[in-house]
Amino acid sequence: MSDRIHEFLDDVAVYALGAMPAAEAQRVRDHMATCAECREEYALLKAAVAAVGQSAETPAADAPSCPSTLLKPRIMRAIRETIKPAVQAVPTSPARDNRSILRPAYLVAAACLAIAVVSSITDIVLTGQLKQAQTEIARLSTRSTTLAANLADTRTTLADLVDADSKHYPINGGEVVTHVGRVYVAMHELPQLPHGKVYQAWTLAKGAKKVAPSVTFVPNARGVAVIAIPIDARSTAAVALSVEPEGGSKQPTTKPIALVPLT
Amino acid sequence: MEVTDANVLVARVKERDTGAFEALYDAHHRLVYGVAFRMLADRPAAEDVTQTVFLKLWNSPELFRGGNFAAWIVRVTRNRALDLIRSRATRNEGELPESLPEQEAIEDVAFARIDAERVRSALAMLPVEQREPIELGFFGGITHEEIARRSGTPLGTIKTRIRSGLRKLRDALDQAVTA
Repeated sequence: MSDRIHEFLDDVAVYALGAMPAAEAQRVRDHMATCAECREEYALLKAAVAAVGQSAETPAADAPSCPSTLLKPRIMRAIRETIKPAVQAVPTSPARDNRSILRPAYLVAAACLAIAVVSSITDIVLTGQLKQAQTEIARLSTRSTTLAANLADTRTTLADLVDADSKHYPINGGEVVTHVGRVYVAMHELPQLPHGKVYQAWTLAKGAKKVAPSVTFVPNARGVAVIAIPIDARSTAAVALSVEPEGGSKQPTTKPIALVPLT
Repeated sequence: MEVTDANVLVARVKERDTGAFEALYDAHHRLVYGVAFRMLADRPAAEDVTQTVFLKLWNSPELFRGGNFAAWIVRVTRNRALDLIRSRATRNEGELPESLPEQEAIEDVAFARIDAERVRSALAMLPVEQREPIELGFFGGITHEEIARRSGTPLGTIKTRIRSGLRKLRDALDQAVTA
């Protein structure tokens, strides 16, 4: 095998990994179109790259590194909205002027040709603009759905925090709040942590002997953090907070800074 | 989830079956979120990407043309996360083509069933000088040139290490699947 082929095979590996700038990637694609050995190598390595991606799957039991339990309902709500029957307006045609006007045939033909040329050019320009607009609308629509869902979550949190029926469990620098099964940690004076450290919540289920890991978070610059704990308060005996390395821990590695029995 | 199951579910999503979509979400959301979180290190942003990816699946299921669904959705996720990284800092990362038809090769199917923990173990067995550029290239969203610059290693060496590492990983996973 020549050194040149070796070099291309290395390039194919970088391309398969998706770590190649666009211009170079095109060069590799062009080469692969004419080189069976490189196509074979690509097929071989592509499966390994797919596996690299799969290595990032979060374990089901690793609660702190799983997405919020609110995410699925939010997505399902968004997709259900797209299948609501759309009401279509029936366009009304303007009254047409059916008067026939006689013109010399060649003038009509020339006018038609001119109109066709102008229309084609306009079509091309408008099609491009339309595609751009559609892409932008789709992006904004997704963003808007996300923001609306986040706003709805925030409203629920605020309503729960101030509801007269909520239970408040004061802790140093804040409180744990429960309302209709939902649990929040609302801190207003949480010290900033050094780089690489986060706060982590822990929950103790009723009848359990060991705490389970929950969400990790950091306060904002003013030491404020309001976090929804994805667990049912009615089946929870206690909530605790500790300082852990970034990414969270499976067991507390430091002494809890707060431990709140939920009564 | 078996590859054929995912293919059947995507076909049902094309017919606007929300139950099939939900089954795909349940089976793949930890993978999508995991990739996004690994790349962005930011929980809200990773959730944002997860939502975008699944809405894309719902709105354009025809973009998946069959084969290894997990590999496809990882590519879509990685590209969306790269979009976000680009919007934070202008860089020129390589993308994985989303619309490229997945080959129906048996290897792809076999790897689609492989457990993430098993892949992590296989990755951990690679020499660090091979594992690092692979993980940086895939999850860091940076080019091989940037990897070479950061590590002070010649570009050719980085390319060779990426290829050697991917080949070793492929061999290890082949053995794991046939074991």
